Amino acid sequence: MNSTNDTKELISILEQSFDIKDFTTPKKNEISIVVDQNNVPTILTYLKDKGWKQLSLVTCIDWIEENKFELAYVLFNWTNGITFLVKTKIDRKNPEYISIIDIFPGARYYERDIHEFFGVKFEGNSDFEKPLFLELWDDKPPMRKDFDPLEYSKRKFPDRKYDVELSKNAVKEVIKEGEINERT
Amino acid sequence: MNIFEEDLNDTITFWEKIKNIFRGKSLWMLHYCTGCGAVELPPTMTARYDMERLGMGPMATPRQADVLLITGYLSVKTLRRVIYTYEQMMTPKYVVGFGSCTLNGGIYYDSYAVINRLDYYIPVDLYLAGCMPRPEAIMNTFKTLENMITKGEANGWKKYVENYDWYRNNQIRSLGEVYVKDEFHE
Repeated sequence: MNSTNDTKELISILEQSFDIKDFTTPKKNEISIVVDQNNVPTILTYLKDKGWKQLSLVTCIDWIEENKFELAYVLFNWTNGITFLVKTKIDRKNPEYISIIDIFPGARYYERDIHEFFGVKFEGNSDFEKPLFLELWDDKPPMRKDFDPLEYSKRKFPDRKYDVELSKNAVKEVIKEGEINERT
Repeated sequence: MNIFEEDLNDTITFWEKIKNIFRGKSLWMLHYCTGCGAVELPPTMTARYDMERLGMGPMATPRQADVLLITGYLSVKTLRRVIYTYEQMMTPKYVVGFGSCTLNGGIYYDSYAVINRLDYYIPVDLYLAGCMPRPEAIMNTFKTLENMITKGEANGWKKYVENYDWYRNNQIRSLGEVYVKDEFHE
C-alpha cells in the first residue's frame, strides 16, 4: 500500500469539502492542518473513519498577542504510521468549545487537563470542571501567559531571607583588610 | 563511649544516652523518593558502597522507619502526603533534606507547584549538599546523622511537637486545609 498517494487523495478530499486554512507537513509522516472551529468534529469523525483511530493528545496553546487559544488534536494511524494534527483557534476572552468525547472517549481527561491549566470550558463533557492535578487552586489557570508564577510563589510559599547588604559589606571588609596587609 | 561518673547518678540522662547510642546504630530509612536525588540511593545500597555496613537499611512502612529522606524538590501535592507520612512515623524520627530544592527551592524557586522551603512545614535535622549528591556524600551525611543522634543533637521531632502550631499554620498557609482528595478511590 502506498501511503503517500492515499494521503494526497485524502487531503484533496478534505480541501474540497472543508475550509482548510493551512496545510503543512512539519516532519516526515506528519500532516498538520488548520481549520475553522466549526469543522473540527466533522473532520475528526472523517479521519477516525479513514483509520486515524488513536487520539494521542489534545493540547492547548496560548497566543496572547492574537488574543486566541489554539486547540491541537493529534491523531495517529496504526496502519501507515502517519500522525495527523488538527488545529483550530478559539476566542481567548470567553473560551468555550465543544467536547469531542462522543468521537474519542479518551479526550475526557485531556479536556479536564485543558480546563484546569487554561480555563477552556468544554460543552458536553460532564466532569470537565472537576479538579484533576491542582488541589485547592485559587488563582487564574497557571499555563496562561499572563499568569505570573513568581508572584504566586512569593504569595503562597514563604521564601528564605538572605541578608544581601550584610554579606556585601562583609566581602568589602575582607577586601579592605587584604589591601591594608599588602601595603604593610 | 563516654560515660562519666556524674551520669550514673542522673538516671534520665544516663539511660537517654544509652538509648541514643542504640538509636544511632540502627537507622531504618523510609523510601519515599520524592525527587531526583533518590537515584543516588541504589548505588549507595548495593555492593560497591554497601550502606548496610553502617547499620542503615531501607524500610517500606512509615511506622517502622526512623529516617525520612526528602530527596529533592517537593510539589505541593506531594508535600501533603509527606506530612501524613511524617506524622505516622514513631518518635524519635529524623528528616534529611537532599540538595538545594529542599533548602530554597533550587531551580523551582518560581514554580507554582513546588514549595520553596521545606523546614517551614516539617523540621529538618540535616541538609545534604549536592545536586545530585554522590553516594560518598550520602554515606558522610548518614555518618554525621549517626553522630548527631548519639550526642542527642537531632531534636527535630521534639521541635515539631513543641512548635506544632507554627508548623500547622505554615502548612495551612501553603496547602490549604490538609486533607487528601482522591477521586479514584471515592
